[in-house]
Amino acid sequence: MIEMQAVSKVFRTEVVQTHALRDLTLKVEPGEFVAITGHSGSGKTTFLNVAGLLEELDGGRYTFDGQDVSRLSDNQRSGIRNRKIGFIFQGFNLIPDLNVYHNVEAPLHYRRMPAAERHRRITAALERVGLSTRMKHIPSQLSGGQQQRVAIARAICGDPRVILADEPTGNLDTTMSDQIMNLLLEINAAGTTILMVTHNPELAQKVHRQLHIVDGRIDQIHHFKALQPAPAISSVAV
Amino acid sequence: MLIHDLNLAVRSLRRNPVLSSLMVGAIAVGIAASMIAITLYHARAGHPIPWKEDKLYAVTLDIRDDEPPQSFERHPEYPPFQLTYRDARALYASDIPVHSVMMFRSGQVLTPANKGIKPFTVSTRVTTAHFFSMFDVPFIYGGGWAPTDDDAPGSVVVLSKYMNEKIFGGINSVGREVVLDGRSYRVVGVIAAWMPRPKYYDLNSWGGWEIPEEVFIPFGWGRALKMSPHGNTSCVSRNAKIDGLESLYTQDCVWLQYWVELRGRADRDRYQAFVDNYANEQRRHGRFPRKNNNRVVDVPTWLTMWDVVGDDSRMQLALGLVFFAVCVLNTVGLMLAKFLTAAPISGLRRALGARRIDIIRQHLLEVIVVGLLGGAAGMALTLGGLTSLKVLMFSGRLAHSSNPDRVALVQSFVHMDIPVLFAAIALSLLAGVLAGLYPAWRIGRLAPATFLKTQ
Repeated sequence: MIEMQAVSKVFRTEVVQTHALRDLTLKVEPGEFVAITGHSGSGKTTFLNVAGLLEELDGGRYTFDGQDVSRLSDNQRSGIRNRKIGFIFQGFNLIPDLNVYHNVEAPLHYRRMPAAERHRRITAALERVGLSTRMKHIPSQLSGGQQQRVAIARAICGDPRVILADEPTGNLDTTMSDQIMNLLLEINAAGTTILMVTHNPELAQKVHRQLHIVDGRIDQIHHFKALQPAPAISSVAV
Repeated sequence: MLIHDLNLAVRSLRRNPVLSSLMVGAIAVGIAASMIAITLYHARAGHPIPWKEDKLYAVTLDIRDDEPPQSFERHPEYPPFQLTYRDARALYASDIPVHSVMMFRSGQVLTPANKGIKPFTVSTRVTTAHFFSMFDVPFIYGGGWAPTDDDAPGSVVVLSKYMNEKIFGGINSVGREVVLDGRSYRVVGVIAAWMPRPKYYDLNSWGGWEIPEEVFIPFGWGRALKMSPHGNTSCVSRNAKIDGLESLYTQDCVWLQYWVELRGRADRDRYQAFVDNYANEQRRHGRFPRKNNNRVVDVPTWLTMWDVVGDDSRMQLALGLVFFAVCVLNTVGLMLAKFLTAAPISGLRRALGARRIDIIRQHLLEVIVVGLLGGAAGMALTLGGLTSLKVLMFSGRLAHSSNPDRVALVQSFVHMDIPVLFAAIALSLLAGVLAGLYPAWRIGRLAPATFLKTQ
């Protein structure tokens, strides 16, 4: 699903160059749930941004879902993000003046999807995360856990091939964290590949594989469980 | 998608009402300042008779002595703007024009038949017969007089609409008698509402910003009754001997307006040659000491030559547009601040799949909404400003004016017509786009990952 070969990313200012990723090589199988760990500044988020086509890579080769995406145009990257990738962020990143329904709807608009199809997908996704009764609420009327579930609904409603989660439980208490993690495990069990950046070692051990990044390179790999054969229906049923 | 973007634009504006109001206010003030300036300029810069642009020509001859420019000459490079009686008479004999008109403005006392109305002064145009057809003067009743009445002169008069209403109550007064300076004239025509702006055929009073005369009588009465011209009279030759009003008919004094109607531009050169030949011939007799500098000019050139629009109007327009530009620049700053504040949301939308063009379009739509709201508020301010100007004008010299034509003329200066209205709408859209283009482009160029962590 995701294959990176000697990928590098350098941030340059007038006085300093920062090598955020150095010759990073990695292969993530379809349906795999991978946790990315590492200290602050190790390159976890940059890795996730490169993987999510939010940043261009400076060197190496990146293949996503069988397509070489190393040198795509900005529009092409936007199209892949919209159709094949779902994002979940630590700070939820909901649009504050849109209600739950319209927050989930946001990515579908850029797909030029008919209104009826949008409605079907939004209601199914919110049903799946247990928020079908909160459609009219705005983010500030929801708890942190609920907001993150809205973000998950937004990520899965487009039926993505991959979900990229950047510390999705970082702002939540233990109970909420467990709920969100269980939801992500369910989504993964239904066939969606997930890459999750986390500082939480317990959560990292619930997935198939943990990659520990140090100074922009994969330093250690831990296998916790074997990847099961892909289910008959390989996408999230929303 | 458009409705979706429009919805987002309105939400975004409501997210920060103070900043949004400031932007709308800045554009509104800019629109109002420029629209008031444009309205005032437009009222003065219009073409009074565009359909005859290639036919109507003012004629002037450079009869001045060969002396350095005089201090009172605003444009020493041009000949005097009026003719002597002698030259007007000579040119009048030409058969090149379809029609020629010589004329001047004077004043008389009108004694109404109705004893209830006291005698009062009226403005009189003393003119040859083709004045009415040449300047396309519309009539309600009757028409002008025959050319044979010019020199006779015939005791005939044409009244303005207002004068006919004042002394005859607006009825068809053709055939009725009017007493001017104790002499009786028969009404042959009543003019309909007619307000050439500016009064291009005679720029003597208020630089052309005056209403047409109230009564019109044949040219021959001028000399017969020794009527004094109300306007600039300049005896341009050092040899001129002034001895009463009759001197105007015998000496080299310029005081008559002279116009010709030609068949088209092709005849202009022919007529110019005729005028120059006339001047050459006069030079042989000791007149016209300067080189030929005679002008046969169409109405727009005539108005430009004599600064009828005026530098102050142009300066006002320029200041209005500069003020508009300053307001747009201010809005650019406010818009940029607003867009940068909301940049994390744009970054999020980019992450969710929006293309750069989607973000730019959404933001441009927002500024167009600001532009239109600013335009609407600006129109209200413009109307308020023009109304205030009207109040100021009528508290001055017009406060006691009983002549509705004069009131209408002044009102027309502050009247916003349809072309100006469309200009206001276009200007507000332009303001929105100008103010938003750079901020929208800046936001569209931001890397999507930049603000995701900070949202």
